[in-house]
Amino acid sequence: MSVSANDNTAKVSLRGFLAKYSVLIAFAAIVIFFSVASPTFLTPANLFNVLVNNVVMLAIVALGLTIVISSGGIDLSVGVSVDMASMVVVMLLAAGYSGVVGVAGGLGAALIVGILNAILITRLNISPFLATLGVLFIGQSTQQLATSGGQPIYLTSGYAADQFNAIARTALFGIPTPVIVLIVLVVAVHVLLHRSVFGRYVQAMGAQPGVAWYSGIRVQRELSMVHVLCALLAGVTGILLSATVKSYVPLSGNAFLLDAIGATFIGTTLSRERKPSVIGTLLGVLLLAIVKNGLLLVGWNFYWQQVGIGVLVFLVLAASFGLRRAAH
Amino acid sequence: MQTAKRDVAVSMTGISKRFGPVRALENANLEIVRGSILGLVGQNGAGKSTIIKVLAGIIKPDSGSIVINGETVSALTPASVEKLGVHFIHQDRLLVPTATVGEAVFLGHEIGLGPFVSRRAMERRAADLLKRFFGMELPAGTLVKDLTTAQQKVVQITRALAQKASVLVLDEPTAALVKREVDSLFEVLRRLRDDGIAVVFISHYMQEIEKLCDRVTVMRNGTDVGTVDPRQTPIDEIIAMMIARDVGEMFPKRSVAQGAPVLEVSNLRLGGSFENIGFNVRAGEIVGLTGLLGSGAKEIVQCLFGLKNADGGQVKVEGRELSLSTPVKAVRDGIAMLPEDRRAHGVALGLSVRENISLASLRRYSKSGLVSRGSENQAVDGLIKELSIKTPHRDALVRELSGGNQQKVAIAKWLSCQSRVYVLDEPTVAVDVGAKVEIYNLLNRLAGEGAAILLLSSDLLELVGVCDRVLVVYRGRLAGSFSGPAMNSDALLAASSGARSNIDGVAA
Repeated sequence: MSVSANDNTAKVSLRGFLAKYSVLIAFAAIVIFFSVASPTFLTPANLFNVLVNNVVMLAIVALGLTIVISSGGIDLSVGVSVDMASMVVVMLLAAGYSGVVGVAGGLGAALIVGILNAILITRLNISPFLATLGVLFIGQSTQQLATSGGQPIYLTSGYAADQFNAIARTALFGIPTPVIVLIVLVVAVHVLLHRSVFGRYVQAMGAQPGVAWYSGIRVQRELSMVHVLCALLAGVTGILLSATVKSYVPLSGNAFLLDAIGATFIGTTLSRERKPSVIGTLLGVLLLAIVKNGLLLVGWNFYWQQVGIGVLVFLVLAASFGLRRAAH
Repeated sequence: MQTAKRDVAVSMTGISKRFGPVRALENANLEIVRGSILGLVGQNGAGKSTIIKVLAGIIKPDSGSIVINGETVSALTPASVEKLGVHFIHQDRLLVPTATVGEAVFLGHEIGLGPFVSRRAMERRAADLLKRFFGMELPAGTLVKDLTTAQQKVVQITRALAQKASVLVLDEPTAALVKREVDSLFEVLRRLRDDGIAVVFISHYMQEIEKLCDRVTVMRNGTDVGTVDPRQTPIDEIIAMMIARDVGEMFPKRSVAQGAPVLEVSNLRLGGSFENIGFNVRAGEIVGLTGLLGSGAKEIVQCLFGLKNADGGQVKVEGRELSLSTPVKAVRDGIAMLPEDRRAHGVALGLSVRENISLASLRRYSKSGLVSRGSENQAVDGLIKELSIKTPHRDALVRELSGGNQQKVAIAKWLSCQSRVYVLDEPTVAVDVGAKVEIYNLLNRLAGEGAAILLLSSDLLELVGVCDRVLVVYRGRLAGSFSGPAMNSDALLAASSGARSNIDGVAA
C-alpha cells in the first residue's frame, strides 16, 4: 500500500517536473541533437549568426505581443507596424533626411498604427482580433499603393544611409548594437510587465476583465497603452530590419507575426496559469530560431523547416499542458 | 382526501435530493391537477426550483417517485418529459432572438419535407395557433427580438401547446412584465385551465398568487409544508407558512454607535427601473436593501457604483456630491463594491491572493509606477491575518480557495483601499454557513470602524439578522423602511411582494 502510494507521488511529481520544464527540456534536447547532427551548429560563428539574424528582430516583436497577449488580446497587425516603420525610415533617408529624423519618422509611423488599433478597440469596441485584422488588410494595401504594387526601395550609399546601416553593423564591447537594443528592451518590458503598476493592471485585465473594471482600473486607457507599446516595439524591429538590409521590402513584416505568436505561447508553458512572460517568450524565440537554423544546417529545405517548427510547437504545448493536467 | 376524484396529471411523492452537505429537498411532495392552476411559493432556497428541475429531468432525485398521467416514470430527461406533455416556461431561458415567431413556435419540431424546412408553413400554422388559443393577431414572420417580453412568453406557451402540452409550468413568468401584460397573461392561463390543462405558476408576488391560483403549495426548507386555497387563506398566513422561525445563532449580536450620514442618496431615478429613491447610510450603520427580481433594487446598487448611470438625482459621500459615471470614479470617491457574480467581477481566480487584494489600491504600494513588493507583501499579509483568510500562502491562486475565503479576498481588496462606503450585492450567495457567519462578523467590524454599509440581499433572515434598517423596493419605488421590532421577515416579504407597504417609514 504505502509503496504504491509513494510510487504514485513520485510519478506525479516527475510529470509535474516534465510539464513545468518542458520548454527547457525541449531546448536542451534540440541543442544536443543538432550539435551531434551538424558539426557547424555549436560553433561561435553560427550561434552569433543565429542571435543577430534570427533572434533579435523576432524577439522584439514577440515582446510587444507578450504585452498584448497578457492583456487578453491579440495584435495581428504587428507586421504592418514593422513595415510602416521600415517604409517611412527608408523613404525619409532616400529623400535626404538624417538618420535621426528617419528613425523618429519610422517610430512615428508605427505609433500611428498602434493608435489606430487602440481607437478601434477601445472607442469602437471592436474585438482586438477583428480590429487588428482590419488594420492588417489596410496596412498591406497601403504599402502596395505606396510602392506601385510592391516595388522594394533600396538605399543607395550616402552619408545618411551609411550612418543608418551602422546601427546593424557596429558593436559595443564586442556586442552587436541590435543585441544591445534587444537586451535593453527585454529588461524594460520585463520590468514593465512584471514589476510595474501598469503591468499588474494588464495581467488583471487578461485574467478577468470584469474584475479589473470593478476594481476601478481604467481598462480602456490601459488597453490603449498596451496596443501602442506593441506597435512601437514592432516599429523598432522595422528600423533594425531596414538598417540590416539597407532597403524596404513591402510586406516583409508579416513573417514575424506567426513566429512571435508561437514564441509567446511556447513561453506560456513556463507558467502554471499559462500566462505569457518575458522570459518565457525569449525562450520561445530562441527555441524557434535554433530549430530553423539547425534544420537548415542538416540540409532540410525551407518548407520542411515549417513542418519541423509546427511539430515542435505542438509537442512542447502538448507535453506541457497534457502532463500538467495528468499531474493534477 | 379527494385525490381520487381529482384528475391528477403529475404526482411527485417523497422526493429527496442532497447536494453534498446541503439538503435541497427532503421528502417533498407535489401534486399537479388538470383544469386547475397551482401556485408554488417559498423563500429562496426553499426548494421550489429544485423540485421543478427534478420534474423537468434536469436534476436526478436521490429518492422518491414521480407519476405522470397515471404512469410511474423513472430516469426522466428533458426530452422524455416533453414527450409526456409536461412543458416548462423558464424564467431566463428565452427564445432565439433572430428567429421568426413561426420558427420559434416550431423550434425542435420543424414542419417541412425531409431535411428541408418550410418557414412559410410554420409561420402560417403559428399564426393559426396564436389566433385560436389567444385571439392574438401576431404576424408570425415577426422576429422574436422585436416582440415585447409578454409576447415572447405567449410565443413560448404557444410552442408548448403546439406540442400538445397537458401540463404547463411557468417559473416567475411575470418578473419582467408590466401590469397590463400581467393581466393578459392571466387571461391566457385561465383559458388554458378551462380547457383542462394543468398549470403550475411559480411567483414571489403574493397578490398574483391570490388572484390567479386555485391552490397554492408552500415550500420551506426543502419540503412542502402545506397546500391551501389562496382565496380562503389570508396572505399573511401563507407568508407565515413560508418563513422558518428558528434563526439560531447565525447572526452575531453587535452594537455600534452611529455617526453622521456618510452616504446620502436623494431623488435618484433610472428610466424603466426605479424613481424617486432617497435614503441615507450613517457611519457605522448597516442598511439593508431588498426587492424581488425586476423591482429595481439591483439597479439602484449598480448606479451607486457607476455601472449604470442614473438619469437624475444626487449621491453624496461625506457631503461631497459624486458624478459616479464609471466604477473608476466610484472607487476614487471611496465606494467599494462587492459584486454578486464573484467569479466574473469580484476576484480574478487566475491571479494570486496578493495580486487580488492589492489590485484596487496598487498606487499605495508603488513608487513612480513600480510596485514595491515589500510594502505590498506587508499589507497583504496583514489583511490575510486580520480577516483570517485561509490560504496556504499569499501567492496561492485564488482559484484554490473556498468560496467563503474568495469572498474574504474580495472584501480585503476594499479594506486595502480604505473605502468609506461598502455596497454589497448578495455577499453570502454560494458561501457555506461557517463563512457566512465570518462575513457577518466582518460587516460588523467594518461598521464598528465607521464604514457605511449598504447590503443588497434577497435573504430576508440575513437582512433581519444583520441590518440596523431595511429598505424595501417594490416595482421601482421604496415601499418601506423597517427597523427595530417592525423589521421582521414577514413584514419584509409582504412589502416586497406588494401586499403591504410602509411608505410612512421611508422618511425615517
